[in-house]
Amino acid sequence: MDIEQLRKIASEVVARDDVKCLIGWKKGSYGYRIAPAFVEDTEETADLIFSPLCTANLATYLTLVEKLPVPRGQEPDTRKVALMVKGCDSRAVTQLIVEKGISREDVVVIGCPCPGVVDAKLLAEKYPETEEAAEVKWNGDGFLLIRGGEEIKIARDEVLAEKCRLCRYPNPVISDLMLGEPVKPWDVPEDSGVVEIEEKSIQERWSYWLEEFDKCIRCYSCRNVCPLCYCQDCILDRLNPTWINRAVNFSENTAYNISRAFHLAGRCIECGECERVCPANIPLGKLNRKLAREVREKYGFEPGIDPEGEPFQASYKPDDPEDFIL
Amino acid sequence: MSAMLLNKEKWPEFIGKLAGKNLWAPQAEGDAMHFAQVKEGETPGLDFGNTRVPPKKFIFPQTETMYRFQLGGTNIEEPVIDDEVVVLGIRPCDARANKIIEKLFKWDVDDPYFLARQEKVTLIGLTCTEPGLNCFCPSVGGGPASTDGLDILITDLGENYYLEALTNKGEKLLGEAGDLMVEDKGDGAKAKEKLVAAAEKKINRTVDTKGIPEGLPGLWEDPLWKRVSASCLGCGTCTYLCPTCHCFDIQDEIEGFDARRCRMWDSCMFEEYTLHTSGHNPRPTRRERTRNRINHKYNYYVDKFDVIACVGCGRCINLCPVNIDIVEILRQVKEAL
Ligand code: SF4
Ligand code: SF4
Ligand code: SF4
Ligand code: SF4
Ligand code: SF4
Repeated sequence: MDIEQLRKIASEVVARDDVKCLIGWKKGSYGYRIAPAFVEDTEETADLIFSPLCTANLATYLTLVEKLPVPRGQEPDTRKVALMVKGCDSRAVTQLIVEKGISREDVVVIGCPCPGVVDAKLLAEKYPETEEAAEVKWNGDGFLLIRGGEEIKIARDEVLAEKCRLCRYPNPVISDLMLGEPVKPWDVPEDSGVVEIEEKSIQERWSYWLEEFDKCIRCYSCRNVCPLCYCQDCILDRLNPTWINRAVNFSENTAYNISRAFHLAGRCIECGECERVCPANIPLGKLNRKLAREVREKYGFEPGIDPEGEPFQASYKPDDPEDFIL
Repeated sequence: MSAMLLNKEKWPEFIGKLAGKNLWAPQAEGDAMHFAQVKEGETPGLDFGNTRVPPKKFIFPQTETMYRFQLGGTNIEEPVIDDEVVVLGIRPCDARANKIIEKLFKWDVDDPYFLARQEKVTLIGLTCTEPGLNCFCPSVGGGPASTDGLDILITDLGENYYLEALTNKGEKLLGEAGDLMVEDKGDGAKAKEKLVAAAEKKINRTVDTKGIPEGLPGLWEDPLWKRVSASCLGCGTCTYLCPTCHCFDIQDEIEGFDARRCRMWDSCMFEEYTLHTSGHNPRPTRRERTRNRINHKYNYYVDKFDVIACVGCGRCINLCPVNIDIVEILRQVKEAL
C-alpha cells in the first residue's frame, strides 16, 4: 500500500470545490484501534492510512448525516462526500445507489483494492494490545505487526477476518479514483460459512439461536453501524404502534434480530460490521450470510454489484413460478 | 470489621457455604465474561478480566416491571422484590458506581425498586491485580482496591485469599464460613498493600480532572464537540455498558389483555432520547448528544451530587465500535479550557 499515493489523491480530492469532506481511516487512540477520519483540508490528509486494521465500513456515514434545518437565507451544503472504500464497502455504496438512498453524484468513491483485513479481536488474543497505537501492514501473503520497534510476521490465516475469508469482491466494484492495482481474488468456500449451522436439526438450530439472542442487550449498534440500515423511520423506534417492545428478553430480542436479518435479505453486502461491533458477540454474520446465500442460490441475485441493477426486495417478475416462499 | 485468610484449597468449600444462596459470579462466554447464576456443584474461579456488561443489573435491571394490570381492569399488581442476591467477584469500580447512582435514586423521591434491590444484594468484590488496558479508576476517585459500595473485598494473595468484611452484611456472611478461615495477623494486609501498589503502577491511562467540571459549561459551543462526535454512530454501546449510566424510559407493554408498566435502560446517545412530541429535539445531532454524555458525567452530576459519574472502568473505550475514547475527549476538553 503506497501511503504517499493515498495522501496525494486525498489532497487533490479535498482541494476540490465540489467536495465537502473526505471520510477515510486514521490511527486510533491505542492498540489496534483505527478511527474514522473526517478530512476537510489538505493538511489533515497526513493522518490518513489504509492498512489491514481498516475494518470499518465507512459507507455507513453516507446516510448517517443528521441535517439541522438550514437557517433562512442560507443554502444547504450539497457538496459531495469523498469516501475510501474496500471491496465490501464499495458494494454498500453501490447498493445505496440502487436503492436510491444516495445518488451517484453525491459521492466521490476512492477505491482501495483489498487483500483482506485482520480480525482485531483475534489479533489481540494472540498478540495482546498495548497502549501504543500499533501498525499492521500487508506483507506478502501475510501481515506484519509493528509495535515498540519490534516487527512480527503473522500468517494470513492466523488473524484474517472471517468475512475476508469468504469475500468474493476484494476489489471495489465502483470507483472514481483507484488506489494501487487490483488484487487477485482468492478461492472462497461456496457455503458462505454457514453449512455448519445448516447441518443442525431444526431443534438444534433453534436452541443455538435461543442462546445467542438471549445475550442481546439491544444496544442497536448492529443497526447503527450497518450501511444498509438507514430507514428514517425504523420500526424499532416506533412507539405507536409498538412493533417490538423495548423490554429486553428472548422473545423481543429474537423479534428484533430476525426482523433485521429479513429486512437485509438481498441487501446485506456481507461487510461483517454488525458482527464486529456487537458487544454481546452474537454471530450475526452467520445469520446474514445464510440469507444472502439463499437469495443468491434461489434467485441468482447478489446485492451491491451493479449500480444500474434492481433492488431485490422491490423487484417482481410476472412469470415467477412461485414454487417456494423465502 | 474482620480480615481473614482463606487457603485456596478451601475455596470450593467456601463456595459451598454460599451455595444455598442466590449466587452470581463471572463466567466465560466466548471471549467475554458475564455474570451468571452459579449452579449447584459449580465452583467459579476469580481469575478473569472484568465483565463485558456491568453488574448494575442486580440493582437496576435493564427491564424492570413496575406493576402489572389488565386492560379494562382497575387492579394493579405490584411485583415483590425480595430475592436475596450474592454477587461474587464484582470489581471495585462497578461497586463504586452503584453508590454513585444511588445518589440519584435517593434524590427528591426514594426510588422503591432501586433501593429494594440494593437492600437485598450482598456485593463481594475482587481487588484488581491486573487492571485492563483502558482502566483509569484512580483518576476519578477510585482505585483497584476501592471498597466503596462493597460488603466484602477479596484479594488474591497467591496461596491464600485475603477477605475483608466491610459492612455488617459482609461480616455476617464471613461469619457463616468462619471455620474455613484464619484471622489475619497483619501479613495478609501487608501483602495486599504491596499488590495494590503494583496494580496502581500498571494503570497507564490517566485523566487530569482538575478544572473540568467548572470548565465544561464554558466549552458549550467549542468546535471540539463536532470533532469528537463526527464518527459517532449513535448506538447504545457506551451507555448500556457503563456502570454509572442510569437513564431510563417508562413504557407500557401489552400482550392480549395482560399489560405491564415497565422501565428500561435508555441511552442519551439514541436519536429519540429527547425527542419532543412536537417533533422538536433539543439535542438534534450526535454532537449535542456526545456533549451531553460528557457533561452529564463530568459536570451536571458533580454540580448536583458532588461526585464524577464515571468510575474509569474503560468499557466505553473498549467497546465503542469507532474508537471514541473518553480519555481522549477529556484530554481535548482540558486542552480547550
Ligand atoms: S470482505 Fe473483502 S473487501 Fe471487505 S475487507 Fe475483507 S477482503 Fe477486503
Ligand atoms: S449489536 Fe449485538 S447486542 Fe447490540 S443490538 Fe445488535 S445483536 Fe444486540
Ligand atoms: S447486515 Fe451486517 S454484514 Fe450486512 S451490510 Fe449490514 S453491517 Fe454489513
Ligand atoms: S460513542 Fe461509540 S459507543 Fe457511544 S454511541 Fe457513539 S459510536 Fe456508539
Ligand atoms: S463513562 Fe466509560 S469509563 Fe466511565 S464509568 Fe462509564 S463506561 Fe466506564
